[in-house]
Amino acid sequence: MAGARTARVRPRLSPFMIGVRSDALVKMARFPSEEWTKLYAEKLNANKSYEDAGKNWEGAITFVVQKDSALDKDAFIYLDLYHGKCRDAKFSLTESDLPTPEYKYAGPYGNWRKLINKEIDPIQGLLTGKFKLQGSMMKIMRFTKAAKEMVNTTASVQTES
Amino acid sequence: MWFFRSPQVVFGDEALSYLSSLPIRRAAIITDRYLLGTELPERVRGALPEGAESLVVGDVSAEPPLSEMTAHLEKVRGFSPDWFVAVGGGSSIDTAKILFALHERPDLTVYDITPLVQLGLRTKSRLIAVPTTSGTGSECTWAAVLSEENEKRKHELASPEILPDYAILDPSLVVSLPPEQTRNTAADAIAHAVEAYGSTWHNPFSDAMAEKALELISENIEGVIRDPRGLGPRGQVHIGASMAGLSFSNSQIGLVHALGHSLGATFKLPHGKAVGLLLPYVVDFNYDACPERYDRLNMLIPPKYRGRRLSGSLRSLLGMMGVARTVRDAGVEEPAYASSMDALVTLASESTGMVTNPKDSGSEDLRNIFIKAFDGD
Repeated sequence: MAGARTARVRPRLSPFMIGVRSDALVKMARFPSEEWTKLYAEKLNANKSYEDAGKNWEGAITFVVQKDSALDKDAFIYLDLYHGKCRDAKFSLTESDLPTPEYKYAGPYGNWRKLINKEIDPIQGLLTGKFKLQGSMMKIMRFTKAAKEMVNTTASVQTES
Repeated sequence: MWFFRSPQVVFGDEALSYLSSLPIRRAAIITDRYLLGTELPERVRGALPEGAESLVVGDVSAEPPLSEMTAHLEKVRGFSPDWFVAVGGGSSIDTAKILFALHERPDLTVYDITPLVQLGLRTKSRLIAVPTTSGTGSECTWAAVLSEENEKRKHELASPEILPDYAILDPSLVVSLPPEQTRNTAADAIAHAVEAYGSTWHNPFSDAMAEKALELISENIEGVIRDPRGLGPRGQVHIGASMAGLSFSNSQIGLVHALGHSLGATFKLPHGKAVGLLLPYVVDFNYDACPERYDRLNMLIPPKYRGRRLSGSLRSLLGMMGVARTVRDAGVEEPAYASSMDALVTLASESTGMVTNPKDSGSEDLRNIFIKAFDGD
């Protein structure tokens, strides 16, 4: 993928934790990374609940993972979502490398980790300022179930801690 | 991190007289067509501080579309109120919330009223809600519902900034509520308490409100139905309905409201009637996701209505109140229902109630509940 690089996460770097690892039939990936993005898109496309909840959704969203004390640089995960499927998924450390999305869901890396661990509800995360959303509110409020399924899917990606 | 948000609540005998102690100079009184023809607007005017000017806007119908809610926006802006006083049921209060927001921020549209945007209201005016029904809870919530103009859809608006500054609960204002509205609004309040308690966002504050609300309403509603003019039971149900509003406003609704908004918008059923009939079916569907919580709620229902499970108890209680048990009983015809099923399911699936319901559900689950609710189990 042009322009795509793996984000550097400061703590607990180990040569065994770089990129996709396949052991005991489990693929693991560091978040955020190109590998994680690919695994996430696969999981999302296999999620029947998301397919049902997002069957009328058309529009791309970029997850903006903002740098904090545990992440050196901002990272961007672009997802082209159409009728309950993810048609394309790209990762980059440079936002301008990615297509312009209809929505951006942004928050610091630490909050993303909590979201993936289901310690933060995605909508409550917005209401408490842990995440910010850009885009038409009217449209997205009709797809809150799809948003919840998107977050549920992050938990199914084997993410390195 | 989470919040408990509430207006200042003034309740009990002669609570309306509290208006005279507020620094009101120009009051926009928002009420409905029915109340406009009663003595109530004059009572409210009479309770304002001496010398206060007022403008009465009284065109609100039941569950109004946006055009109706905002029909007098320019008149209201021209009057330049420093307080909005909503007098009526949920439709009047929701209309006042929208007029208040659009008066404060002329650059907004109603669809900008979302919890994700800081609106910056209260630079010109404040908002008081004086409910004349006991059920919607709108006087204590940061939500407003509007019916879409050319669609069979209800749009759920929400912002902490449209939460009223004061809720005035005067039992004398509800004693003349007609039986059908008494029944439907009380059913709505019961649904609020049950949904808030089961919500995945429930918290100790919303739990306390939900439990007490269910207790107050279920213990007193029979007395209200037997003696509608009795201030005691009316007052208790009135307080219970506002507590139920506080419970769901601080934790969120669930599938009953997701399905109820869809059913109500599609077949023009009053909101309370739609959610009241659906409530036991959804409780049955949800039971295995939160059995302890539902069992605890069940113990709050008076023994004469209490069954082994909450859904059975609710059927007894709602049955005593005269709430329709099935969609068919509510007057919906089977062919129209069957041909609307896909649209009903889609509309329900787009409700925010889908995400906070205790049990995850998909389109087939919604369809099955709608099918069961048509003729009963």
